[in-house]
Amino acid sequence: MISLLPQALIDGILIGGIYITFAIGFSLAFGVMHIIDFAVGEWVMLGAFMGYYLNRWLGLDTVVFLPVVFVVFGFIGYILQPVIYKVLSGKRGNPHLMGLVFTFGLGLMFRGLGLTFFGFYSHSLKTFLSSGSFSLDLGSVFITIPTVRLAGLFYALIITFGLTYILKKTDFGIAARAVAQNRDAAGLMGVNIERISSFIYAIYVGISAMTGILIGSVFSINAQMGGKYTIMAFFVVVLAGMGYLAGVPWAAFLLGIVQAIFLIYFNPGWTLLAVFIILYVILLVSPKGLFGRGI
Amino acid sequence: MSLLEVKGINTFYGESQALWDVTFHVEKGTLVTLLGANGAGKTTTLKTICGLLKPESGEIIFSGEPIHTLPVHEIADRGITLIPEGRQLFPQMNVEENLLAGSYLKRAKKKRKENLERVYELFPVLKERRKQIAETLSGGEQQMLAIGRALMQDPQLIMFDEPSLGLAPILVQNVFSIIKDLHKRGATILLVEQNVNQAIKVADYCYVIENGRIVMEGTGAELEKDEKVREAYLGM
Repeated sequence: MISLLPQALIDGILIGGIYITFAIGFSLAFGVMHIIDFAVGEWVMLGAFMGYYLNRWLGLDTVVFLPVVFVVFGFIGYILQPVIYKVLSGKRGNPHLMGLVFTFGLGLMFRGLGLTFFGFYSHSLKTFLSSGSFSLDLGSVFITIPTVRLAGLFYALIITFGLTYILKKTDFGIAARAVAQNRDAAGLMGVNIERISSFIYAIYVGISAMTGILIGSVFSINAQMGGKYTIMAFFVVVLAGMGYLAGVPWAAFLLGIVQAIFLIYFNPGWTLLAVFIILYVILLVSPKGLFGRGI
Repeated sequence: MSLLEVKGINTFYGESQALWDVTFHVEKGTLVTLLGANGAGKTTTLKTICGLLKPESGEIIFSGEPIHTLPVHEIADRGITLIPEGRQLFPQMNVEENLLAGSYLKRAKKKRKENLERVYELFPVLKERRKQIAETLSGGEQQMLAIGRALMQDPQLIMFDEPSLGLAPILVQNVFSIIKDLHKRGATILLVEQNVNQAIKVADYCYVIENGRIVMEGTGAELEKDEKVREAYLGM
């Protein structure tokens, strides 16, 4: 059994890599806009279906549609952000709860629309990456790495380093971090908070939807898949510390590894239970996440 | 024409009124101070000027144009900067990133290089520590960074909110000499202080605010002679 451990670890890292991408956007949106977007899984689902239908209609490989999905959903996020901003800065009591309810409602609506228009059957996204795999034979240990999962990890690394670069090295990124770290002071520096929020929300929705394609080609897609990924994003971000971006990759890898270990050694049905027990214990010990740096 | 004219502003926190008909002005190149006890409305006045709070009525004119209806970032773009109480740095950014954030505005970005040099010349310790995370700086260094960040904005009016608060006595002297120095170089400054002794000495003109109303004004020398001021603020 122990010979399966390296395979479990590698599977975990490969799956965790994909979680990084939408969790990092989720954390960024939380940091800048102070919103917990319960529709994150639905953005993943919608992006996946867009890839699926584009592939069916145009016949091109799904991977080709990654930038298309990013642009389309980025635009949707950009025009949706002012509405969320209005809900969050409204004069009603408890605006953060309103924001939570608003995105939860959006998520439910998207899921309902998904069921109506896409049906309840599962599909898989076809790409040229789906078929191949690499094998490593190290005597006692045999490891298989499907090409599509490796591609997923590369995708995750590109997104992570790309976002890190933007946040660290560009004026837009510095402004976004300024808003996340001290909203009023950012305004005093001349940062247009609403504009920055729109771009951040656009980037986050775009990335989440694009990740749907990757997830769809590794697993399968259906209209109700969103809930699971909302939970995953939530788990990763809370574990990393709300709004603490640097913690996201580690939390995502941890989640991936836990999941892979349960798939191989235990009953896969227990995965979510295990995930939440781990989250519970860690938050009990360190309420601000793994690194104690969250809000 | 004054650089800043505040005309009869009334500001509320929810239902309760914090400023009552506050009127004063700041001439270009002068150092004006707003004195008053805790809770008198000094910070509220500054926040209303820079747009973090909106006045219910009254006008704020800057360089001849009304600004009280503009959002915070546009007021910053007009050339007003506030060095807030408690510094309000970006805690997880390093020194240099904080300064870069200060020159985010398009007009400030053009002068970023020369302003950065100027700030480093003014505060050599910031240059030494430019890769250090802001929240790990000492209180005095944080205050310098907050001032430096404001200077990066290339402001026409610098507003200080209690710059000496929470600093050791020797650093208080230091902060006041920085303010005097900036004033000497031609900056227009609006200073809010509880440290009345010090503030009166550096200011060209003073206003006293009590319970949200301006109750007295005059030069430092005039106020020092006033019985009420001596008793209430100077402890004499």
